[in-house]
Amino acid sequence: MTDRAPQSPQVWGDPAVSGGYTLVVCEKPDAAKRVADALSGGRSAASQVEGTTVFSFAKDGEEFVVCSAQGHVYGVSDPAEERTVYPVFDVEWYPLNLVEEESASAGRRIAAIRKLAAGAARFVNACDFDVEGETIGFNLLRYACGGKEKGALRARFSTLTEEDLRRSFGSLEPQAADGLARAGRARHVIDFLWGINLSRALSQSPLGLGHRFRTVSVGRVQGPTLGFLAKREREIREFVPTPYWKVTGVFEKDGREFSAWYAEEKVRTKAQAEEVRAACRGGTAVVVAVQRSQVQVSPPPPFSLGDLQKEAYRALRIPPSRTLQIAEGLYLAALISYPRTSSQKLPPSLDLRRILGGLGRVRAYSDAVEEILKSGSRTVQGARSDPAHPAIHPTGERPQRPLDGQAASLLDLVVRRFLAGFGPPARRELVDVSMDVGGHRFKALGSRTTFPGWMDYYGRYAGRRDQEPPPVAEGERAGVVSVTVEEKFEQRPPRYNQGSLLEKMESEGIGTKATRADMISTLLSRGYASGDSLTVTDLGFAVVEAMEKYAPSVVSTELTRHVEEMLEGVEEGAGGEADVVRETVRTAAEQLAELFANEGEVGRVIDAAIAGEASKAGALGGCPVCKSGTLRIVRSRTTKKRFVGCSNYPSGCRASAPLPQRGTLRPAAKPCEKCSWPVVYVSGGRRPWKLCVNPDCPGRSKP
Amino acid sequence: MKCAVCGREGAGKLCQRHAVAKERLEAAYPLWVRAYGRMSWGDYLDNVIRNVQTGPWAKEVAEALRDS
Ligand SMILES: [Zn+2]
Repeated sequence: MTDRAPQSPQVWGDPAVSGGYTLVVCEKPDAAKRVADALSGGRSAASQVEGTTVFSFAKDGEEFVVCSAQGHVYGVSDPAEERTVYPVFDVEWYPLNLVEEESASAGRRIAAIRKLAAGAARFVNACDFDVEGETIGFNLLRYACGGKEKGALRARFSTLTEEDLRRSFGSLEPQAADGLARAGRARHVIDFLWGINLSRALSQSPLGLGHRFRTVSVGRVQGPTLGFLAKREREIREFVPTPYWKVTGVFEKDGREFSAWYAEEKVRTKAQAEEVRAACRGGTAVVVAVQRSQVQVSPPPPFSLGDLQKEAYRALRIPPSRTLQIAEGLYLAALISYPRTSSQKLPPSLDLRRILGGLGRVRAYSDAVEEILKSGSRTVQGARSDPAHPAIHPTGERPQRPLDGQAASLLDLVVRRFLAGFGPPARRELVDVSMDVGGHRFKALGSRTTFPGWMDYYGRYAGRRDQEPPPVAEGERAGVVSVTVEEKFEQRPPRYNQGSLLEKMESEGIGTKATRADMISTLLSRGYASGDSLTVTDLGFAVVEAMEKYAPSVVSTELTRHVEEMLEGVEEGAGGEADVVRETVRTAAEQLAELFANEGEVGRVIDAAIAGEASKAGALGGCPVCKSGTLRIVRSRTTKKRFVGCSNYPSGCRASAPLPQRGTLRPAAKPCEKCSWPVVYVSGGRRPWKLCVNPDCPGRSKP
Repeated sequence: MKCAVCGREGAGKLCQRHAVAKERLEAAYPLWVRAYGRMSWGDYLDNVIRNVQTGPWAKEVAEALRDS
């Protein structure tokens, strides 16, 4: 691993002599503005440097300049020019604008920070305090500021409120151990090597690539995640149901009817079920036992990111990746604390009374807050902790701008969860009724909340479900009104949804809290899975099957978890990142050798799946000749050339058109205005161009 | 060899997917026989094919077995 990112020249001399300013480096523009406002009391001056906004002010006789990145502005890439070669084991760090076209602004941000670094005497890293933030800060200080990653100071905070920012800048720490940054950089390198090599291996088959509309790729964390989905999908597709019978009785006591079910919930033979019905019909039930029990239900712990994502999916149907995005926005607006945390604890150092005071000014929460303050109760704590940040909690500040629907809902969820943590345990009464009908046992349950406690604070998210118990006491009799026998079948296992898949990833130790949701989104956008109940596509299966056969580590949980554990060791200062990269690369090399050896087979399997999907996805639009078929891109079996053909070819439609053989084709949304044939965008080569596929189109200037 | 159900490559007469599905189908048959007292293999296949819980690969094998 080498550094290709240029370092800025050291133009400033001894700070005591030059009297330079303190340069504060933030991760995001919104955070920079908040830092500047908080430290200057809202009196900072904004100016433009290289097209980016920076803030400057004086405080206690010291000059400050606050600038920001835009998330990651450096990334790893392959120094080789040739884009089709694999394996790749050599990577370098580059300004992101040189690596990704869509990251053009990274160049401006870097240029601005380099310029500002030249006049700075002191550097403060104010990026988010976690692996990604440390990586961003480390890269900025090393590359843009000219090797300042060692001498810089660190501002640590978990919310962007004025108080927290002032407190954190009042006690700046020396840039602590660099374990987080080293682990973060190693993770980027490993993920890059993993992704680039596999996608190149998968995208190359000896059969030509012209009909491919997408790049096939499998990330390091994506592989096992796709593996979970595929395993479940197989169980579903192979599933053979088996029958059972459910026997339910309707009973009557003093004119009130209630139902109870046969104690053997799944009767395995039809004959037995019928026997029970015949024996009980018209009979009398004797209540043999009514057991009442009280249970206490403790409030749920404060939110970690994973908990918040699962709960938001369960209660609000917001996908996990969207939840993180919204939470990030709420954090930047200083409404909630830093969301990328594993913690379920609110440490005593937090000023909870101040937060409660702020929330108490909102009408919807004021009653709850008053009760909490009066009772003096303390908040519940969960088991998991995070060295960098507390659990996600509200700051108690009011939104300065009205929030959109989802953001408002998510903030409400965070606030109510926080309040619920102060609530007393809820109490529920469970009633378990047992009845006997001529030697056959029937059961009924009831439940009710006798004391809501924290559930009142959690509001609609508490999901209270009460069920009236049957109106009978021990020793009483009830008449049998009817007995029904229902034929049922064992259900196939449920598909994962985004919430349950996230939970699976967490419990298997796959991915990091900050990246899991994105992995799931990528599986969807790559076309490996689709739908709300995540269904593996043919392409997804082809990829998993090829990997299981030739590169099993790619879809295995063990390797990914092992890498994750090694990286955690690096974070804690227990290991060197170079070893982790080396070990991962070695495994990748073994797996790639196997893929290489079977390139033809792998290519064929994946090609077949892509062709299958392309026959759906490659549709261009309605056929203007037969008016009932669909024009699509097909490939000649004999010449291997691609052309446009009609889906009604087997029944006689001969509509067809030649296509350019080079470049990637993407169907346009609207058909040609002149002839109503489909239009495609052709990209690759110089610049993308638009083409009506009709060779006889009146609007066509040149073939 | 090409799978008799789907035409994909496989080690035997069936591809991996349909081979496993056939195993599941055969394993469930005795449970159905016991549940209903008696059931012919043909009736069993018909029932499985009609059942909405049956997975698509199992259904495809059942159809192929019924039609063969
Ligand atoms: Zn098959």
